Amino acid sequence: MTGPPVLSVENLQAYYRTHYFGVNREVRAVDGITFDVHDNEIYGLAGESSSGKTTLIKTVAGLLKPPLQFVGGAARFSFLPGHDALATAPRAVALGVWWSRLSFIMQGSMNVLNPLRRIRRTFRDFALRHVRGTRQEFGQRVLDHLARVRLDPSVLDAYPHELSGGMRQRVTIALATICKPQFIIADEPTTALDVVIQKDVLGMIRQIQREMGSSVLLVTHDMGVHAALTDRLGIMYAGRLVEEAPTRKLFAAPMHPYTQHLIASLPRIGDAGHRNSLEGSPPNLADPPSGCRFHPRCPLARDVCRASAPPLIVAGGGHRVACHVVAGAGAS
Amino acid sequence: MTALLKLDHVSKMFVRGGILSSHRVAAVRDVSFAIAADKAEIVTIIGESGSGKSTLARMILGIQMPTAGTLELYGRNVAKASRAERRAFMAMVQPIFQNPFDAFNPLKKLDRYLFMTAERFGGAAAGEVAQTAADVALKKVGLSLAEVRGRFPHELSGGQLQRVAIARALVSNPRLIVADEPVSMVDASLRMAIVNLFGRLRDEMGISIVYITHDLATAYYISDRIIIMQKGEVVETGDARGVLSAPQHPYSRRLRDSVLTADGPRLVASS
Repeated sequence: MTGPPVLSVENLQAYYRTHYFGVNREVRAVDGITFDVHDNEIYGLAGESSSGKTTLIKTVAGLLKPPLQFVGGAARFSFLPGHDALATAPRAVALGVWWSRLSFIMQGSMNVLNPLRRIRRTFRDFALRHVRGTRQEFGQRVLDHLARVRLDPSVLDAYPHELSGGMRQRVTIALATICKPQFIIADEPTTALDVVIQKDVLGMIRQIQREMGSSVLLVTHDMGVHAALTDRLGIMYAGRLVEEAPTRKLFAAPMHPYTQHLIASLPRIGDAGHRNSLEGSPPNLADPPSGCRFHPRCPLARDVCRASAPPLIVAGGGHRVACHVVAGAGAS
Repeated sequence: MTALLKLDHVSKMFVRGGILSSHRVAAVRDVSFAIAADKAEIVTIIGESGSGKSTLARMILGIQMPTAGTLELYGRNVAKASRAERRAFMAMVQPIFQNPFDAFNPLKKLDRYLFMTAERFGGAAAGEVAQTAADVALKKVGLSLAEVRGRFPHELSGGQLQRVAIARALVSNPRLIVADEPVSMVDASLRMAIVNLFGRLRDEMGISIVYITHDLATAYYISDRIIIMQKGEVVETGDARGVLSAPQHPYSRRLRDSVLTADGPRLVASS
């Protein structure tokens, strides 16, 4: 990739800290994550529930609420020089970039759109303050943008309940992109939609991203979505990044045992062979396993895996992996 | 031989609007199929949101009654059942819901659900009999009462919770389980754990399952028969692998073509 990254995350740590009745509890949901997202790129993050995906994007976006606390590291945006992370920047700085430079596509469109207001009013609520110009100019801009995302202008006069689920999700994407943000965070944008509409909505995200040249950080547990849409893919397990590679490469030649399992367990139409599920449960992040956090469930685990956490090492061709066994095999 | 479940031209209409502007909306229109009593099978109902698949599930569970047609369990019309029969039906047909975190009251201990089901439908008196029934059901899904006793929903992971939900359904020794999108909220590796469990329920315990989903890949993997619905109507039905390998109806083909796979083509901007 050329040029400096748009988002550069370095050893980011964010913990949930609670102290009730004298009991201190610390859940290390994001524990030392490093990755870059480049210009004009869709970067995917995959992992099971409670692997810290959502905590990571909340921290990157600076949307932390107690008990979630920023602990250390950095998440630098190229359009925000001089600040190490939105989470620690003054609120005025964050307000200056939210929605205009950095915007969000959320999972439940019904939770984003006010059910008592027409879509036109919602557009005004979300975006008017980020756009310079008069109301007339803003209205024209909304119309232009809707034409770009191939939504009929009549949706502006509809209430959310009058639109179908797929239509509402398209409206939230239009809302998120009207200010032409440089960076879009999409958190499970299609999980609640069925397959036909999912493909349609993902196509729209791809189209807008290509037109505007924005970067997208796409978080979902659906590996099919990652395969179809993302350029590079990072796999999270228990608060850490265990593998990262260009998407095609990751699916063709996964290196980490967890990734290998994840890809092998995907059912396919036309192949009824038995699929195994992973034994055991995801680790408790308040008391994570020693060493590599995957070792209690890993078929390749050795003594070294229990003793020390493997670093994320470069395996060539943009591939990074955090595994003692794989790294050892590569070296010998 | 009477069928376990038989739907005969079942329709469900909803009336929308007020006195002046009321109109009828058909959520399910003229659906017929049967599940044999002597051979357990997994029947997948697939379709877009609003295709009537959840309404169909609610009618099979007896939560809603069809407006036309008949729905029979072991040859008895569900709509005309007495109170005692209703209870017997509820023991025979059990539900599993989409999101395990929503299905359980966060302030209630999980074992209570199992004991209550045992007392009400399993014929167990309170106390030890109910506990044994709960333990047996939990063992079938790979858990045990010792792991679940006294625990609240937030103390278990999503996968464990969904297995507790399945165990709860098993307590009353059902013949049929209606699972409404049981895997759409869970991640890939857990999804296979639950789908494989459904396969075991069918093969080892002879429980038939109505599996409602929009995930075609797991439908292909586990189900014997498939029913594809669109706007309340059945558009295609048949052997699951046959239908998904070579769908005939245009809508089935569109569904099939929309599935994103790991080795499928990359998505390009929609035209």
